[in-house]
Amino acid sequence: MQKIAIIIAIFVSGLLNAQGNYENGMMKAFELWQANNMSEAGHLFERIAEAEEGNWLPKYYAAHVSILSSFGETDESKLSARLEKAQNLLNDAMTYSPENPEIMVLQALLYTAWISYDGAKYGMTLSGKVYATYAKAQTMAPTNPRVVLAKAEWEMGSASYFGQDTKPFCKDVERSLDLFANFKPESEFHPKWGKERAEQILSNCN
Amino acid sequence: MKIYLSILFGVLSMTLVAQSTIQGHVTDQAGLPIIGANVYLKGTYDGGSTNDTGEFSFKTEAQGIQTLVISYLSFETFTLVDEVTKMNKLLISLRDEVNSLDAVVLSAGSFSAGDNSKISVLKPLDVVTTASALGDFVGALQTLPGTTTVAEDGRLFVRGGDAEETQIFIDGLRVFTPYSPTTNNVPTRGRYSPFLFDGITFSTGGYSAEYGQALSSVLLLNTINEPDQDKTDIGMMSVGATLGNTQKWERSSLSVNASYINLAPYIALFPDRNEWEKPFEVLAGEAVFRRKFDNGLLKLYSAFDASNFELTQEDINSEDGVHFKLNNKNLYFNGSYLGMLNDTWTIFGGLSYTHGRTKVGLSTNAIDDTENSFHAKLKLKKRFSSRFKLNTGIEYFATDFEEDFSNEFVSAETYAFDNNILGSFAEADIFFSKNMALKAGIRAEYLQIFEDFALSPRLSFAYKTGSNSQFSLAYGTFNQNPTNDILKFEEDLDKQRTAHYIFNYQYNKNGQIFRAETYYKDYDNLITFDSEFADFDSEYSNEGYGYAAGVDFFWRDNRSIKNLDYWVSYSFLDTQRKYKNYPKQSQPDFINKHNISIVGKYWVDAWKSQIGFSYGYATGRTYTNPNTDGFLDQKTKPFNSLSLNWAYLISPQKILYFSVNNALNFKNINGYQYADSPDLNGQFQRRALQPAADQFFFVGFFWTISEDKSSNQLDNL
Repeated sequence: MQKIAIIIAIFVSGLLNAQGNYENGMMKAFELWQANNMSEAGHLFERIAEAEEGNWLPKYYAAHVSILSSFGETDESKLSARLEKAQNLLNDAMTYSPENPEIMVLQALLYTAWISYDGAKYGMTLSGKVYATYAKAQTMAPTNPRVVLAKAEWEMGSASYFGQDTKPFCKDVERSLDLFANFKPESEFHPKWGKERAEQILSNCN
Repeated sequence: MKIYLSILFGVLSMTLVAQSTIQGHVTDQAGLPIIGANVYLKGTYDGGSTNDTGEFSFKTEAQGIQTLVISYLSFETFTLVDEVTKMNKLLISLRDEVNSLDAVVLSAGSFSAGDNSKISVLKPLDVVTTASALGDFVGALQTLPGTTTVAEDGRLFVRGGDAEETQIFIDGLRVFTPYSPTTNNVPTRGRYSPFLFDGITFSTGGYSAEYGQALSSVLLLNTINEPDQDKTDIGMMSVGATLGNTQKWERSSLSVNASYINLAPYIALFPDRNEWEKPFEVLAGEAVFRRKFDNGLLKLYSAFDASNFELTQEDINSEDGVHFKLNNKNLYFNGSYLGMLNDTWTIFGGLSYTHGRTKVGLSTNAIDDTENSFHAKLKLKKRFSSRFKLNTGIEYFATDFEEDFSNEFVSAETYAFDNNILGSFAEADIFFSKNMALKAGIRAEYLQIFEDFALSPRLSFAYKTGSNSQFSLAYGTFNQNPTNDILKFEEDLDKQRTAHYIFNYQYNKNGQIFRAETYYKDYDNLITFDSEFADFDSEYSNEGYGYAAGVDFFWRDNRSIKNLDYWVSYSFLDTQRKYKNYPKQSQPDFINKHNISIVGKYWVDAWKSQIGFSYGYATGRTYTNPNTDGFLDQKTKPFNSLSLNWAYLISPQKILYFSVNNALNFKNINGYQYADSPDLNGQFQRRALQPAADQFFFVGFFWTISEDKSSNQLDNL
């Protein structure tokens, strides 16, 4: 009996230890991200992803960091290396968690990064994909605030490009803010970003 | 007590294990430090990044044999499997990733259009927004160097070769009848609508061993793998109408497209030099079905078109002109499957089939041609590593051609032949480093019609000379059977041959591309005959020969001036050949020595419009004047043409499009036709060969209906 207790104790302490690693690692990565140390944060997410096979979250965040850092990059070879890496991470995340609207949002964001680099080259072929990805995400998760926000932001971008009124999309952004207020992430580390972005966009609406 | 001890011990063992320090230095191949590489032990959380001097150091509790991983963008990921305690004072140099965008590319001879091609010279949109092209992908390619201006023909003439020397492939499968039929003073167009393709590679020489039966050039078109969404496209044009619809499901999609073109109203408004009894009319339909499988993609494409026209053309030898009537039906099918067998093996299998029926009435002659051709191909690709890949395959081409000829003197004469070819190829891509690559291949063909073998080696090499520049070399031999027009009269012939030697320099930096390419082509075994036209009673042989040498320059820039994208091509070509009925080696009449092409596109944001122009200049073409002794020693005046277009986005999904070809109305002359017999003064009279119309106007309205409200047909124009 006592022996069993010992074994359980050792086992549990090991498990807690491993669990702690994941939590500490993720927390550390988010801290680095907050401190604007993007590359370190990305590296840590990648290490966690390697250690936590089957978990889509670290892959998702590693891809997110890679995509965000590619906006504004003017060297095409660096841009394509970053986005290809992000695409590979997203592909892995999608195999771990297929039909996931959160990943779809990132996928659309990745296409947007190509388009913002060279609209003439990538706009025609990728803008349809961006829209289709958002449309699919929206049918799957109509109340996910990030889906609503990202789709609205994209539509505002296209509308302003064509000199059309962007106001109709402001109410989608407002709606996303309500959804953010009520959004409960599945776990501490599930995606919950976007509220600040929505507020920022909304401030331009008025 | 004992129990407490064990618990204590157990818990301690989990937390207080010995730590070791992993430490080292990371550089690139040249020994320069790599800053910011991710270094870690696989499966643990332990790791760090390299600092400004390429050093890294971190602590780990992991013990025993572990895998150290070092990864950095654009470099191959490095792994080391060893005892943790031995992982210190490591000196590691990372190898360049050869697939990265800034790696060397085997580019000699080829131009690509596409998103993800590293040697993309044209963007997908260019094919359709080039002013002179009128939505024809062949027209857009004619603004690239290496092509010659044969304005009345419309097909691709590459580096001294005639149009028959270029072969077109869709998804790797041969298109036997790629061009719409037309009369001799109206340029032809590609049969297939450009919106089906998202990748175009145009090779002007030295191409891969995968492609055969082309002496000069190959044009490779890849169809779209997956459409983005359901949509309906409506087009209303001054010359007809189009209607398209795409439906997308979870794993499959279907696109259908129909078009009807009738030039009658246009010709009534702007009469041309032909006397049309029945202006050009074509009805075409296309359908593409695609289905994704877990590890592969199936594509089925079929197209049918029927065209007809009837006219009388001016002729120096016939006061009433020559009557010409044509009726053509063409069916094309292309089916292919591309699949991954496992991580390193890829398989491709495909079949294309063409059925073409052309009925021609020329004066009192009735000519009825039927062609049935197919191409089957099986290809295997093995990726040994990112540095070594092997591509191998086997294919079969079969053509069954029959012509029925009759006139008032001859009743139903039949000319027929079968031209079957078995081909196989193997080719290896080898990257020695990010800066040096080699492609080496060999192609073997068995030509059933001649009971003969042909062996063609192909080689290309590329070396990167700086971060934005590289040079490449290519060599290859190519063979091609004589065309249907010859084989229908004579089968006892041999393959025609050519060898290409190419040297290419390329500079490519953010939005600017400069290419210079020089080449030499050696032609041999060309077809000769002893009569004015290739005829049933002519004597044929393979005794022709020739050469082509030249330099091509290309410059494209879309960065220097905001919203302006332009390119300039210049080609110099020196070529002579003795073939057909030439008495001596001469410059053929489809050659211009100097060709210049300038294309510009300017986006006016305030007007939501793209305004484009395209200017072409070519020096004169040769012709023979029977009033002198010479052969092909006279030259026409130079060719000039300026085309303009304007695409206006009324709303994201509605486009109004205008274009005018030859806006300045240059009177171009393509050659001269001389009378068969001299007049009373002993002079042969002549007639200038002019295009049917000097100018062409086009107006179209294109409307896309899709859920996203932002797609449009800009890429179809």
